[in-house]
Amino acid sequence: MGFFSVLGDCFQILKHTFRQVFKRPFTYFYPFEDRIYPERTRGRHIHVRENCTACAQCVRICPVVAIRMDKEDKMYEKDCALYFDYTRCIFCGLCVQACRFEALFHTPVVDLSEGDRDDLIYGPDKIETLDRDPLKWRGRRFR
Amino acid sequence: MSPDILDGSMDIWFGPQHVSAHGWATKLTLVGDYIVECDPNAGYFHRSAEKVLEFKNFRQGPLVLERMCMLEAFLAEYPYVAAVEKIAELEIPERAKVMRTIMMEMSRIHSIQFWWGQFNAELGFFTMALWPWVDREYSLDVFEELTGSRHTVSFSTPGGVKYDFTEKVMTQLNRAIDRFEDRLVKFKDMQLGSPTFRARTENIGLYDVKQGLKWGLSGPPIKACGVPMDLRKDDPDPNLAYDMVDFDVPITENPEHPGQSDAFDRMEQRFAEAETAVSIIKQLIPQIPEGDIVDPKARGKANRLPEGEAYARVEGTRGITSVWLKTEEKGQTAYRAKIRGPCIASYYALKDLVPGSKFADFIVIFGSLDPYPGWWDR
Amino acid sequence: MIGGVMLQFDFFAWLAGIPDWILGVLKWIYGIFSYVFHWIFNVFTWIWTTIFIPKNFMFLFRAVIFPGLIFVVMALIWAVWFTRKLWGRIQDRRGPLHMGKYGGLQLFADAIKLIGKETIIPDKAKRWMFRFLPGLLLVIVLLPFAFIPWDTVSAVDGGWAISDLNVSLVLAFAFLTAVPVIALLAGWVSGSKYTLIGGFRAANNQFAAEIPMIISTIGCAFLARSLSIFDISMAQSSLWFAILLPINLATFLVAAIASVGVFPFDAPVADSEIIFGWRTEYTGIYFTLTYFAEFAEQMLYSALIVALFLGGPNGLPFLPGPVNFIIKFLITFFFFVLVSSSFQRLRQDQIVYFCWKYLLPLAVLNVIVIMFAVVYLPGLMLPLLGVG
Repeated sequence: MGFFSVLGDCFQILKHTFRQVFKRPFTYFYPFEDRIYPERTRGRHIHVRENCTACAQCVRICPVVAIRMDKEDKMYEKDCALYFDYTRCIFCGLCVQACRFEALFHTPVVDLSEGDRDDLIYGPDKIETLDRDPLKWRGRRFR
Repeated sequence: MSPDILDGSMDIWFGPQHVSAHGWATKLTLVGDYIVECDPNAGYFHRSAEKVLEFKNFRQGPLVLERMCMLEAFLAEYPYVAAVEKIAELEIPERAKVMRTIMMEMSRIHSIQFWWGQFNAELGFFTMALWPWVDREYSLDVFEELTGSRHTVSFSTPGGVKYDFTEKVMTQLNRAIDRFEDRLVKFKDMQLGSPTFRARTENIGLYDVKQGLKWGLSGPPIKACGVPMDLRKDDPDPNLAYDMVDFDVPITENPEHPGQSDAFDRMEQRFAEAETAVSIIKQLIPQIPEGDIVDPKARGKANRLPEGEAYARVEGTRGITSVWLKTEEKGQTAYRAKIRGPCIASYYALKDLVPGSKFADFIVIFGSLDPYPGWWDR
Repeated sequence: MIGGVMLQFDFFAWLAGIPDWILGVLKWIYGIFSYVFHWIFNVFTWIWTTIFIPKNFMFLFRAVIFPGLIFVVMALIWAVWFTRKLWGRIQDRRGPLHMGKYGGLQLFADAIKLIGKETIIPDKAKRWMFRFLPGLLLVIVLLPFAFIPWDTVSAVDGGWAISDLNVSLVLAFAFLTAVPVIALLAGWVSGSKYTLIGGFRAANNQFAAEIPMIISTIGCAFLARSLSIFDISMAQSSLWFAILLPINLATFLVAAIASVGVFPFDAPVADSEIIFGWRTEYTGIYFTLTYFAEFAEQMLYSALIVALFLGGPNGLPFLPGPVNFIIKFLITFFFFVLVSSSFQRLRQDQIVYFCWKYLLPLAVLNVIVIMFAVVYLPGLMLPLLGVG
């Protein structure tokens, strides 16, 4: 391993790094730009009350006890209200697989951060709809 | 160690708050710039996974295992699933076998990409730390497209897999593999061709096969010594599709010190591992059979298992990963589960390997063994 | 007046005298105030007139604003931004981008955040030295900027180059030698094992890099027949020394990187080995000062490379000297950052080995070759140097 071959190796590396300077960076402006999430993304859940039969399979399979159900709160014939605790949820997808009545789905919404811990416990009003308040920062809207 | 040498010694905790010690602490005794004693301490990352497994049923169990090492989630959850399948005597569909194999090799590539970045960051070269992480993003895209999650994939289930390959997954998979193969040339220039990298890693952390086997090393650290010790060839799992492909066990033999491996050989070994994984995936993609992805009766059978015990192991990225499982009659959960991670061996190997080397080389030796704290603290 | 005495005290006269007395007191107070006022006013007038003698005004302007303190600090802020942005680009990311346009105000945000942080001084630290050293470090690093020849005309003749000492090259290196001493001291007084190791590693870096670096500049001093940085850069009006001393340019660049202790030679602050080296215990404003000092040192070495090897302010004749200088400075700084983000960190003994075994002989070799050329090929060399 002579002196000149080492020098050549150094210049090879410098060539690679020098070329990288003029390439477009890989990252993007996250809060303002966002990529398209795949269909299967295991984000927050959505609960379809019409199809729900209150069979509690999702509550049984949940490994972290993040789901609570309230059978008194009936809107349709035999449904129930679900409370999702997103401080506990690990997004494993078992509850969605356990549901046989197409009443529980994941959505590609993954930015769940809130200012208050209690806001992360999604009651029946929040878990049944995808609408939420837009978040603004420095005059620009994201989310 | 004679006591008079230790008179001027200094104890340093390479400790839990050190920037490159993420979840581990090692006590080093220095004399001058040389380490004379190394005392690895496990327990800073303990999550009592084995106990948790006694309370989770057999469909929830893989979730615990994949959190042991998120970098190789597909590989990590497999031994548990295989052990459950052995006890419940489940048949795996052919398609699920091939899919598992492909994703396990993809997981291996992802883990190696992450390790390159981490190792280079430890060597103070952040350019090469972030370049493999760009390719890692493509690997993660495959995982996300397939399972919906980037790290905690929850892919395998007793009796098959949960998510099926779609057209889009195959496109992403091919893109990730092709791009990675293209970039490997550049990585080799930057890594194996770098004079500073050679200076830092050659003859650092040198051990031979005998020592390595004594410490219980497996996987790349022992394959870098030139020993083709690989479960994919030695003990092919009937539930995986390694018999469908033609590959050689990647080994690294350095003519300068035959039968021994230093940090540089281990890096070379990781390149060979990644290339083998790429070739296995490329051979398997055209061979994916049609059919079910999960045994339809498996869901019922895995709810309650008969009494029995099973031991399953797999060749992980860092070495042999194994799970021993004991169940009681009609047990909904495991009676006892024992996880043996590969890194417990490589972490405690530091005790014999590090003394005598310089303080600056400690992190190089440590990093070259690719330890992950989750595997030794369970 | 039975049994009485006539009062000697004329009450009404006394009463009539009160206004005079009050007036006198007021005059006395006025006198004091007017004296003080006039004194201050005279001082201001003196300063004012002294400053606005054109020569004096330009001197102050140079010292404080353009090639002086404020310009250097602004350049420093720019250099931090540029380094971070370029590191980002090389590493396939974008670098700072949220504060200001293209993240230009990021450094101000960082500085405000760091200054607002709690300053923690360890129990075992020597408190006053611990507080004193970062400021001293920054001052020492900023001082040699006075000798950088920003213009082809020196300040004495109305140009922009501030100082024209005939030993400025030696003085600049004398200042820079103090930097690792301060690092070692800071590591020592911090009272931590990691800082101590880091301090000794900083001293080790300087021990390795200083001699090759100074030897690399000997060729320039020989060819210009002067030890003044200004004279050396002016001697390159016809031919840059980079053409005659290319190896010395490379060795100076590498030795300068080693001396600063940035990436391939960052053993003193190697974050994966010794947490942040001698800077581990510094928090808040003290950390900011040491952080700035590192970038100031990088800038200083880039400026020295321009002055010694790349012709200083000489260049395109239709551009003013400072513009020429700054263009070359930007390009040099770019390469400084590029080299510093392309290699793995060397161990400290390897740094010494590398500097003494490769850089030193190469630097000496180039000097010897060029001296032989001057002696034996005077017909070729002397016209190039603009002599004879």
